[in-house]
Amino acid sequence: MSLLEITDLQTYYRAEGGWVRATDGVSLSLDHGETIGLVGESGSGKTTLAKSIIRLFPDNAEIHGGSIEFDGTEITELSSKELRNRIRWKEISMIPQNAMNGFDPVYTVGEQIMQVIRHHEDGTSKAEARTRARELFDDLGIDPDRIDDYPHQFSGGMAQRAMIALALALEPQLMLADEPTTALDVVIQDRILETIKAKQEAIDSAMIMITHDMSVVSETCDRIAVVYGGRVVEIADAETIIMNPRHPYTLGLRNAFPDISSEDEELISIPGTPPNLVDPEEGCRFAPRCPFAEEECWSVTPEPQSYGDGHIVECHRADEVELLQEEAGKKETWMEQDLGKPEELSTDGGEPQTGRSTDGLEGDHE
Amino acid sequence: MGLREFVIRRLVQLVFTFWAFFTILFVLFRMVPGDPTSMFLLDGMTAEQREQRIAELGLDQPLHIQYINYIEQLLTGDFGQSFIYREPVIDIIVVRFMNTIVLMGTALVIAYLIGVTFGALMGWWRGSRFERGGIVVTLVARSSPEFWVGIVLLSVFVFWLGWFPSSGMRATGGDLGGGFVQRYGSLDFLRHLFLPALTGAIVYLATPTLLMRSTMLDVLKADFIEIKKAEGLPERTVLYKHAARNSVLPLVTVMAIATGAAMGGSVVIETVFNWPGMGREMVRSVNNNDYPVAMAAFFLMGSVVIIMNFVADLAYVYLDPRVEYE
Amino acid sequence: MSTQTPSRAERLADGLERRFDRFRDGLSVFKGDRLGQIGVGLLVMFVFVGIFARPTTIEFLNITIPGIAPHDPTERAVGGRLESPSAAHPLGTTDRGRDVFSQLLVGTRVTLLVGSLAAFMAVFIGTNVGLISAYFGGWVDDLLMRITDIVYAVPFLPFAIVLVAIIGSSIVNIIAAIVLILWRSTARVIRAQVLSHKNRPYVESAEAIGASDVRIMYRHILPNVLPLAFLYAAFAVGWAVIAEASLSFLGFGDPNMLSWGEMIFSVYNADAVRVAWWWVFPPGIAITLFVMSVFFVGRTLEKVVNPELRHKE
Repeated sequence: MSLLEITDLQTYYRAEGGWVRATDGVSLSLDHGETIGLVGESGSGKTTLAKSIIRLFPDNAEIHGGSIEFDGTEITELSSKELRNRIRWKEISMIPQNAMNGFDPVYTVGEQIMQVIRHHEDGTSKAEARTRARELFDDLGIDPDRIDDYPHQFSGGMAQRAMIALALALEPQLMLADEPTTALDVVIQDRILETIKAKQEAIDSAMIMITHDMSVVSETCDRIAVVYGGRVVEIADAETIIMNPRHPYTLGLRNAFPDISSEDEELISIPGTPPNLVDPEEGCRFAPRCPFAEEECWSVTPEPQSYGDGHIVECHRADEVELLQEEAGKKETWMEQDLGKPEELSTDGGEPQTGRSTDGLEGDHE
Repeated sequence: MGLREFVIRRLVQLVFTFWAFFTILFVLFRMVPGDPTSMFLLDGMTAEQREQRIAELGLDQPLHIQYINYIEQLLTGDFGQSFIYREPVIDIIVVRFMNTIVLMGTALVIAYLIGVTFGALMGWWRGSRFERGGIVVTLVARSSPEFWVGIVLLSVFVFWLGWFPSSGMRATGGDLGGGFVQRYGSLDFLRHLFLPALTGAIVYLATPTLLMRSTMLDVLKADFIEIKKAEGLPERTVLYKHAARNSVLPLVTVMAIATGAAMGGSVVIETVFNWPGMGREMVRSVNNNDYPVAMAAFFLMGSVVIIMNFVADLAYVYLDPRVEYE
Repeated sequence: MSTQTPSRAERLADGLERRFDRFRDGLSVFKGDRLGQIGVGLLVMFVFVGIFARPTTIEFLNITIPGIAPHDPTERAVGGRLESPSAAHPLGTTDRGRDVFSQLLVGTRVTLLVGSLAAFMAVFIGTNVGLISAYFGGWVDDLLMRITDIVYAVPFLPFAIVLVAIIGSSIVNIIAAIVLILWRSTARVIRAQVLSHKNRPYVESAEAIGASDVRIMYRHILPNVLPLAFLYAAFAVGWAVIAEASLSFLGFGDPNMLSWGEMIFSVYNADAVRVAWWWVFPPGIAITLFVMSVFFVGRTLEKVVNPELRHKE
């Protein structure tokens, strides 16, 4: 049985114009010890998806439908108190993007690690918790004496290690890593990723790695889910997504990181911005930015299609994989062009809704 | 710069500020139109008595000598003789100063306790009716001068309901005598203290409440709040131990300004409630041209503000581990 | 103006347009803000009452507009002593038989005068001190900021009492006493704001084309910090009015001008707080309403100055 089973999850934000469908019908499963990457631009809904699991969103958001089964428990039905005491941190912890801001600046790092240990494990004495915090530091290659330092006394990489120590403190079954290395410089990035992987294996924890960086997921993840417009548009094992993707959006994302496609190519970015998710219309949400969009894409929402080995794609033209892959490699394909809705359709369907993201509601800080 | 150097630097600044304040006082009380010595003298003196008095007060000396004498006297706590009471000013003022500190201290403590709590909750429940209502109530309270709030409370609780005494500090009189416990340690005293302290608390509530609310809104956006929630800590812990604890920092810096406002407010509140404090004494002495008393009162009020500024700076350093000693 | 360039007119038009946009932007904030609207509405009412409280003669048109106040506020025995409200005296009479309603209306004038003049002068001084201090830095900054620190050590109301007692209670002296203290907060905030503008590209480019210090300060930087100065002016009006009311209540008001604070002082002197509610409550409520309205307007202006606040509501 898998550790996490998300089925048709819908997380909506109340906004002035209606509901922002930040996560709109996502299904995803994760095995014990497995690492899955959620890839997408900021505003795609990947952070909301991950945070929905521990219900960590603002007051104006709610889970509108769907289910999240974690280790046999339906956690959408838990009261907030049960969620706090049984799931949060004890079973599912988090590594934030910027560790420096992840610690409360007015307490020492050690105090904060001890606080979470003692909150979840009744009867742990201060001394015991302290010993454990020191051990965690030692494990992650930080001088144990530094648990008495304040967050601002740490360097960026060191703070990130301390944050990982905090995330590991209760040996959770799942860790949500939200862009855990983007705030760091490249040399340290790799070392931190290695540390995360090693520790994750040591305690056999699963992980959801949220990132917009294809190169990060290719190194660390078993499977990758590409998120666009609040939906998982393509999911497969890491190699397939990197080497043999079928969705034009995945192809576009891949172009933006040249080290994983061919080396001498220059960066090609996808024109346009993520879609407005307030009551989206029928049709593929990527169509307004897609160089391969056809009439059908504008009017019919694509159904998920399976291509074997858990490779699922939501695209009408996914069968034409060779053509897509070849064309997507060319810069001209992605040149800002008139990608508007075909004339004959715009009369009855209205303007395609483009140009507005979800206003940073999901907390991506890119 | 280390902590020690910071403290020393602030101490030097403290001394400088005190000196400047002394000088302002000196200039202010020698600005009287006409004969600068006239205010120090009583009517109905013969020319001889007058001469003698001027010599006694050192007013026949050149200005710079007067200035040095004046500083010397202030530093030794010698404020001269009251023209009206015919007693050393220091004896008159000290007991009243204590009464003022007890009254305004109580008012400020209440204002800050309520303000910090309400401000934190207003930030926490942002967008709620509680928050919107709270803002209007605090703004209306802050829009009312102290004397007006005092009169409203007097009208309601004393004249209408008759729950509290209208004036003074003790029913038995003798507001100025006795030891500390004897003066402040009775139920009767608390009954007298209630309305004037409440008046101050209402007026000074707005600053900590509104400031607390707006810093809470900033702090709640910080990443660490989300992490603390993700850690599964109870809401109360996240609210008070983390969000509110971080939001309290800027309040420390306005503490000194609030004290300044309270010193000014004491003048008005004590007049309304006939509280035997320094503020009321100041109004009385100014009206009676008893300038040595007025000057001493003004001097003490300013000193409290200067010292509070200093304390606030040190408290900030203590409370915020990130602070740079600039 | 030796550096005239052909694009001057264009730049001027551009600047005007930007300023107009900013102005419209400012107005739009009031649209969604009920408190701000209430504030503006009340202020308009107070100004109207203040201007037309007494008969006004416009000489060259040779017309006299009758005042709103039914009686001369200082005329004795227009009614009986301490009469409670009636049709003839909507807010009753004082212990000397003066009409409270007329006093209330005429008292608006002192409030408006002190509020606007003191706030304007305090903010004028504060803005200049902050601007000069931040722009020149070094010893100028040190000196001006130490002076500001010292003024922060002076308790506001006691200072005003002593000063007015020594130099005499007149409206001019009261305003002077208020201004001497009130400029301090504006100076600090404007200084901080100017510091953040000092190194921006537009200032550097002005320096590059050889603009004088004065020109850079007042033509380039000042317009950018002016909204903040307006905000502080709004709050300064409130503090000034409260200070004047408190001074008058303590008996240090201008004996020749009737103000709300002085009305309450008279009630106290007549020992009539307990009996004459109609005499003591109206001026008190008027003070609160007036200060409240400027604070409400100030809060709304704050959102123009700091757009981030708009999302906090």
